Amino acid sequence: MVKNITIFTTTTCAYCPMVKKYLGAKGLAYDEVNLDQNPERQQEALALSGALTVPVTVVTKHDDSQEVIVGYNLSRLAPAVA
Amino acid sequence: MTETTPPKHDVIIIGAGPAALSAAVYTTREDIDTLLFERGVPGGLAAVTDWVDNYPGFPEGVAGLDLAANFQKQAERFGAVIELGEVLKIHDEGEWKRLETTSGDMLARAVLIATGSDYKKIGVPGEAEYYARGVHYCATCDGAFYRDKRLVVVGGGNSAVQEAMFLTRYASHIDLLVRSTIKASDVLQHELQKFIDDGKITVRLNTSTDEIIGENNTVVKVMGTQDGQKVTFPTDGVFVFVGLKPNSEFLEGSGIELDHIHLVKSDENLQTTMKGVFVAGDIRSGATMQIASAAGEGATAALKIREYLEGREHPVQN
Repeated sequence: MVKNITIFTTTTCAYCPMVKKYLGAKGLAYDEVNLDQNPERQQEALALSGALTVPVTVVTKHDDSQEVIVGYNLSRLAPAVA
Repeated sequence: MTETTPPKHDVIIIGAGPAALSAAVYTTREDIDTLLFERGVPGGLAAVTDWVDNYPGFPEGVAGLDLAANFQKQAERFGAVIELGEVLKIHDEGEWKRLETTSGDMLARAVLIATGSDYKKIGVPGEAEYYARGVHYCATCDGAFYRDKRLVVVGGGNSAVQEAMFLTRYASHIDLLVRSTIKASDVLQHELQKFIDDGKITVRLNTSTDEIIGENNTVVKVMGTQDGQKVTFPTDGVFVFVGLKPNSEFLEGSGIELDHIHLVKSDENLQTTMKGVFVAGDIRSGATMQIASAAGEGATAALKIREYLEGREHPVQN
């Protein structure tokens, strides 16, 4: 079961709205961290994903385990939030 | 045991970029059952382009992301369905075309290939190793990570120049490495000059990009050759815009003819060498690689598909 979903985004990223749209269609709530508005959190996104890119979706389960999905990758995102 | 018939559609459009979505507006408005297959982002390359100044109807220009979103919204308003997945093969079964997809087999009476192209890679050492950790192909996606940093942009065409200018909103300085001379339009070159005069962008002509070098898991410099001399550009990241690669690998062996640079050949009806399979947009041999012309070709292809579905003959022209 999913405890929290956080998406790191930027304003101009084309793939970010797709992740949000997918989660919205599934009725899943998420927190969004826009890195244009919060540049101080870029290192956090990098540390989580290992990549200088967005979207980075962090799915935290109830046992506090985390799965990090980089980019718009439904084959990983879908099972992570199921 | 009964074999399940794959889902059937009047038209399957492979891709959901400007050509595909324009075609879908036309087909769905005429109640032609239309399914689009997209493996990336609806809107295609338009969606990841910072700003579009040359699409008619937008006197001040439009953000690529907004233009792409509106293409999609309009097509979906008339009933177009976009499935996220990939078409792997097309088979000609006469009245029906069988498509092998990541969602299983599907049948269509007509197919529109509108898969467009993706950005090419340079093909130098370090490029693959540092992908997404210092080497990028999407300025609008990843530029924000380089606030107050130095960047190298590789390329001399419209995309390289436009995206280099976009990246100046983040980067402290950009070295634009151009293999020979700048091929971008006069309008873009005129705009670029302002950034050169401000010292934000330095253009390095006759400069090849030879290697991308990193230390401690991050990119630190680019090695190149300028006018025969070895040169080094210290940098925090590299953005590559060296041209487009057609998305036509899935057509190899299908019987659909490609030209010498792997673009899909077509006749004046935009029909390929497989009857009932049409092509539009950047993937078409002879296309002019503009959003406006892709949208126009999509509309044309849709009308030709409608004629085909109505039984008006379009013999394949070899």
